[in-house]
Amino acid sequence: MWEVLEAIENSGFATWVREAPTVFAYSTVLALHTFGMAFLVGFSSIIAVRVLGVARSLPLAPLEGVFPVIILGFWVNAVSGVVLTMLAARSLLSNPDFYIKLTAIAFALVCLQRLKGHAFGAHDAASSPAGKRWAVGLLACWFVAVLAGRLTAYSNFVRKQSAVAVVVATVLLLAARWIVLAITRRSGVHILSADDAVSRVRTPVSNTF
Amino acid sequence: MEPFLRYWMAWPSVENFLSVHAWAWPLCETFHFFGIALLIGGVGLFDLRMIGMAKGLPMAALRRLLPWGVFGFVLCVVTGLVFVTGMHANVPSHPYDVLMTNVYLQLKFVFMLLAGMNLAAFYLTGMSRAVDDLGPGEDAPGLAKAIAGASLFLWLGVIYFGRLIPEGL
Repeated sequence: MWEVLEAIENSGFATWVREAPTVFAYSTVLALHTFGMAFLVGFSSIIAVRVLGVARSLPLAPLEGVFPVIILGFWVNAVSGVVLTMLAARSLLSNPDFYIKLTAIAFALVCLQRLKGHAFGAHDAASSPAGKRWAVGLLACWFVAVLAGRLTAYSNFVRKQSAVAVVVATVLLLAARWIVLAITRRSGVHILSADDAVSRVRTPVSNTF
Repeated sequence: MEPFLRYWMAWPSVENFLSVHAWAWPLCETFHFFGIALLIGGVGLFDLRMIGMAKGLPMAALRRLLPWGVFGFVLCVVTGLVFVTGMHANVPSHPYDVLMTNVYLQLKFVFMLLAGMNLAAFYLTGMSRAVDDLGPGEDAPGLAKAIAGASLFLWLGVIYFGRLIPEGL
């Protein structure tokens, strides 16, 4: 098995992508992997926060129209991810972090599939607790996947420290948002609230979702 | 100009913090990527709707998601400033020299400037107000579509050249 991975790393294709003196090899594959992440994680997370109650005036059903972009993002990342794995097959496949990332992506896809069913199927996702659970699950899985993906490059010790630091920073950010929302709600100022009166008046049918 | 930039672009306190705490650089990298996903998720969705995708979305309501894109951008700017001001902790060169010699960092800044000008054009040409009245199924004006396409192209360009910066180090 080890020899197979070594052969893949030393193949002409992998060597070219890794070592070609052009930005259109390694760096471009890396950039494509970032584009794919932005569309896959970005758009599906936006759907998730909408299901969780942000921008309630936004009708949920037409959001299904962005799924082709989400799916495109997934396939761009599946292909670029396989290429990037080939370049350092031995170190990646012996890195527990890499498996955490892949597992998180697998769970994220399950959550996305279920969320899609709840958000655009017969269910009323915005008010169903199950839809909200899948939305939270999706966000949590993307959090782990992006974090693990970023940390594959680091040593074990730095990785553990960094993961804890990112979790702590995220909890602090969420707490800050919660506090700001609580204060603005109490004082009647709607700076960060989910929607305002103007957009409600303009789109009267939107709250049926 | 050079002494001024040399003084302000490198912050010994940030360099020192990054050197002492090994987790700080990867923390910023991770939040830089969270920021990218939020920026494209919020702003990119707005742009795609203007171009003509998911036309059932009313533009005024879609605007409610823009703060999430702006927050993503702020995450990227804050963490990006850490990378610049604390660069010396990770790369053996002064950020001023990197700014002057790294063509990818320069292109990234040019694309960010163009994206900013594109955003200004969106408001100054009245397109911002024009698209606000778009209800479900309505088509955006041609100029708004062009601005939306330029926005997507420019932000993806910013990400692309950002990924290329290590090539020029």
